[in-house]
Amino acid sequence: MALLELENVTKRFGGLTAVDHVSLELEHGQFVGIVGPNGSGKTTLFNVISGVFFPEEGRILFEGQDITGMPPYKRAPLGIGRTFQIPRPFGSATVRENIAVGAMFGTLGHKTSVDESLEIADAIIARVGLEAHKDKAAGTLTPVEKKLTEIARALAMKPKLLLMDEAMAGMHPSDIDQMVALIKQIAREEQIAVVAMVEHIMRAVVGMAEKVIVLHQGAKLVDAPTKEALEDPRVVEVYLGHPPEE
Amino acid sequence: MKKQITKYYPLIPVYAAYLILFLIGVNVEGMWQLVAMLLFYCALGQAFNIFLGMTGYVDFGYVAFMGVGTYGMALAITRLVGFQGLGLGIIVIGFFLALVMSSLLSVAVGAVALRLRGAYFAIATIGVNEGFRFLIEGAKIWNGTEGMIFTAELNRILGREAASALSTFWADVMVLVIAALAAFVTLFYMRSKIGYALTALREDEDAAKVMGINVTKFKIIAFITSSGFAGLIGATSWALKTPYVFPPEVFEIHYTIEAIIIVLLGGAGTLLGPVIGGLIYGISKYYLSIFMPGFQLLIFAPIIIVIIIMFPEGVVGMLKNRLKGTALGRFII
Amino acid sequence: MFSEQLIGNLIQGLVLGTIYGMATMGLSLIFGVLKVVNVGHGAFIMVGAFVTLFLFNALGLNPILAIPVAFIIGMALGYLFYYTTIKRLIKAPELATLLATFAIGVLLEEVIKLIFGSEFRGYNWAVGKVSLGITVLPLSKLYACAGSIIIAVLLYLWFNKTRAGSAMRSVVEDSEGARVCGVNVSGTYALSFALGIGLTMASGVLLTMFIPVGINPYMGGGYTLKAFVIAVLGGLASPYGAFFGGLVFGLLENGSYTIFALIPGVEPFALTRFFSFVMLLIILLIRPTGLLSRK
Repeated sequence: MALLELENVTKRFGGLTAVDHVSLELEHGQFVGIVGPNGSGKTTLFNVISGVFFPEEGRILFEGQDITGMPPYKRAPLGIGRTFQIPRPFGSATVRENIAVGAMFGTLGHKTSVDESLEIADAIIARVGLEAHKDKAAGTLTPVEKKLTEIARALAMKPKLLLMDEAMAGMHPSDIDQMVALIKQIAREEQIAVVAMVEHIMRAVVGMAEKVIVLHQGAKLVDAPTKEALEDPRVVEVYLGHPPEE
Repeated sequence: MKKQITKYYPLIPVYAAYLILFLIGVNVEGMWQLVAMLLFYCALGQAFNIFLGMTGYVDFGYVAFMGVGTYGMALAITRLVGFQGLGLGIIVIGFFLALVMSSLLSVAVGAVALRLRGAYFAIATIGVNEGFRFLIEGAKIWNGTEGMIFTAELNRILGREAASALSTFWADVMVLVIAALAAFVTLFYMRSKIGYALTALREDEDAAKVMGINVTKFKIIAFITSSGFAGLIGATSWALKTPYVFPPEVFEIHYTIEAIIIVLLGGAGTLLGPVIGGLIYGISKYYLSIFMPGFQLLIFAPIIIVIIIMFPEGVVGMLKNRLKGTALGRFII
Repeated sequence: MFSEQLIGNLIQGLVLGTIYGMATMGLSLIFGVLKVVNVGHGAFIMVGAFVTLFLFNALGLNPILAIPVAFIIGMALGYLFYYTTIKRLIKAPELATLLATFAIGVLLEEVIKLIFGSEFRGYNWAVGKVSLGITVLPLSKLYACAGSIIIAVLLYLWFNKTRAGSAMRSVVEDSEGARVCGVNVSGTYALSFALGIGLTMASGVLLTMFIPVGINPYMGGGYTLKAFVIAVLGGLASPYGAFFGGLVFGLLENGSYTIFALIPGVEPFALTRFFSFVMLLIILLIRPTGLLSRK
């Protein structure tokens, strides 16, 4: 059974169609890159999957269960974790508390106690290398540390699917390599499917993906194994003026 | 087990402050009146903080819950005065009624208004407060505009002396108990999942939702808790201390504003904050009214503006950040 | 008999509604542009009323001429409070601006009390009245009504025909987008706040032309609450919405009063207020963008 299935999902805002009849399928543990310029509907697609918006048309299935009209707080415990384009950690809470929130509410039945959640947070902090910052208020961190906190918070939810919105934007190339390697490693160990969304064809991200989906004006342009997708003439056309990045 | 106890260390400074206040009031001649006022403000801040401080939602109609609690006690006293055998039991029923009525109102208001955010929520709650007041006056519910005066009934139930002791001393002690209870509940929430959920939704409601938090549920929990305490404060500080109730008085928006100022002064969302805020506000109000009668508000207003701009975290908020990680830090949150 | 009385009251309500609308445009403008709810709104109406009172009693100035004076003082006060207070709180949580604007209102009340005392005052501007058959309207009320409509039209023209006006509209739509398109957002914030306060103070003048007695430092509170209901009727963020919200409110207020007065054993005045807050809640729930919005 596929982990995530989208069938003809459409989301409109007034007269604007942000996501246009998108269908896609994702397997357990798969690493997928979604590429599309600003305004191509990537973030809206994520919002529809995580339940911030409900689609006007189409269905969303998660492990075979129809979650199309399910509120976001019920989806997360099923195993859908996400990060935001601009990191949104809970500013006044410490890094440790932020991550503990993920463990506390991100699993089915919310059975993890506060103490257990804090222990899980400590383990993840060690894993991603945030020890030095764990008692700082998340609002005082640097952008890279905020991003890392957000990823750690999502990992604490024990997700089956991790949606990463512009996860690497604005980061130093060496940081990107490190973070991508870390995520890839954790994802493999924990059998997490990752959907990483990038604005440009970023070698670091796309290179790791097994599959690339290119969005253009809300619609799916290409959905193919990475190598094929990158050679597709339509992709080159969309990215004319946006040559592949270093 | 030890760990469970250390978790409640932050209650020590709060309860120490209340104890010192109480001892000063009992032992220093002529201080009880001031102490009673300070206890009222501390209790008010402590109760309001559970909602305002922990969720970040501004309930501009908070006083309505105190008003309804006042009516609960008033109704118990005036309607049950014939059952002399109940004695103090009538007061207990009054507290129960105050709690039930304020909680019911908060469920109704919460179900409606908590769907709104930010300024829309604030305006809706003002609407609830004013609407409720004018419903009582307009439809002449519970004697309408005339209100209820029940000094005679209270005297009949408890006897003149006991009634007088109640309104001049025991009611204030009950306020102290309510304040202490509210502080305990605040810390209990902070240490449980409720507190984590509230912090998350206060900081970023949408992010909290996608983290699996049912934000509506936790907002309502905080709202009902905070409103229930407001009902008890109304039943005590208003109904028992001054045995009358008039709609324009118990729905007066200035009490809500005072509560907001106290929470903000001390530090919204902190445990010790409402105590510090209540003390600073109460003491300055008391002495300003003695030394500069009539000018309190003229002096207060610009000070409030300066504090909002310069110290938005409040006294305890700043202290907490300074002490983070030190030995003292475990006591001050 | 009853229908005549109702129609008479509705006419009065419509005339009063223009002033209600005018007195709410400033609140909506400030919320629309800055997303700040001015809880001290009524205090600025009160200051406008005192400006009129002072100019009339001390200098014998016609209340109509007090309109521009109050408007200019209001603009100045608006800039003053914007740069000293509001500007620093724009990005803070709502609590900060709600409490700060409330404190500004209290400050104004106390300063006016210090100067003029707290007793009720009024002035007597006798300009005659006209009879409409069913009901009689003093000319001063009609002047106030006309003044409200003229100011609303001027504001509309200013919004649609000037650069600053269109900048303001674009900030209402999307402040980030406006910034990207080169609109001076912080300047627009300041101007909007000042203009909002100017309009509100001018409305205080018009209000005294309608009700020349009952001027008192604490008269504003009731108008703040009414303005909230009216602003919500009109969608909170739209000054024209607020103007029409005022008309609707004036009609509903007088209409419901006339009906409640028929019910024995109730206080029709209080029930009218109750009714207005019920409306507020219903609209906030089912149509927070206001009655007139197309969405």
